[in-house]
Amino acid sequence: MVRDDINKYLPLTESTYYIMLTLIEPLHGYAVMQKVEEISKGTVKVGPGTLYGAFTALEKEKLIVKVKEEKRRKSYVLTPKGKKVLLNQIKRLEIMTRNGLSVKNLYD
Amino acid sequence: MAENTIRKFRWFWPWQDEQEEAWLRSMSQQGWHLVSVGLAGIYRFKSGEPCDCVYRLDYQAYKKKDEQDYLQLFSDAGWEHIGYMSNWHYFRKEAREGEVPEIYTDIESKVAKYKRLLTYLAFFAVIIIAISHNVWFDYPYSWWFVTRAIYLLLTVSLVYSIIRLLLRIRHLRRI
Repeated sequence: MVRDDINKYLPLTESTYYIMLTLIEPLHGYAVMQKVEEISKGTVKVGPGTLYGAFTALEKEKLIVKVKEEKRRKSYVLTPKGKKVLLNQIKRLEIMTRNGLSVKNLYD
Repeated sequence: MAENTIRKFRWFWPWQDEQEEAWLRSMSQQGWHLVSVGLAGIYRFKSGEPCDCVYRLDYQAYKKKDEQDYLQLFSDAGWEHIGYMSNWHYFRKEAREGEVPEIYTDIESKVAKYKRLLTYLAFFAVIIIAISHNVWFDYPYSWWFVTRAIYLLLTVSLVYSIIRLLLRIRHLRRI
């Protein structure tokens, strides 16, 4: 029951995955945009339209929650449910990567 | 000074947001910068230094209490909010070093934007259907011909808009 509940969110889009990764600690929107670009080494950029949509959807699904507000900026953090979803996504990605690395001829 | 401002009328359909963005950008390149957007396609421009300014339109029907969060996010990312017209928000940011800034950075969120717009149009479609009986059968009344003509025009444009948006979403998903 609980597992099914979590699987319905998977796979996450690349942007959502990175947004959730950064929200392991409370961050406001702009910090999320900067951190995603930084940790993805510039491969993923999150525009404000995409981020606002992700915040709205993730909050509605209770995967993230608003924690505080300073200088008119709201911060979000992962909920326990959000953490579970993220961990499951990481597991999927691990399998994907291992599969990719195990194809020998690919690296000749 | 009044002569530094011009008004232009131009009509864009709901699925033509990218054409509208391109037009506003070309206006800025000629030194006319958008100041406000009014009802029925009336745009006000102010003259200034030409710039390669990129315009992006967002469709967002948020609750009043979320307005601050929404606008703050865009302004932190360097987007200037120029105004809005029936849930369409107009943003501007200068393109630097040949990089065109975007507010939507993946297909899924772009599709979600058009879906929000579709929901809004579907709401209008329901109203149109709900009043259809009155328009077609509660006559004769004065001006019934005009009422019917307007009704027909609205229905056709609404259906056409919905189809064009659905095609657009399909196209986006295919990329």
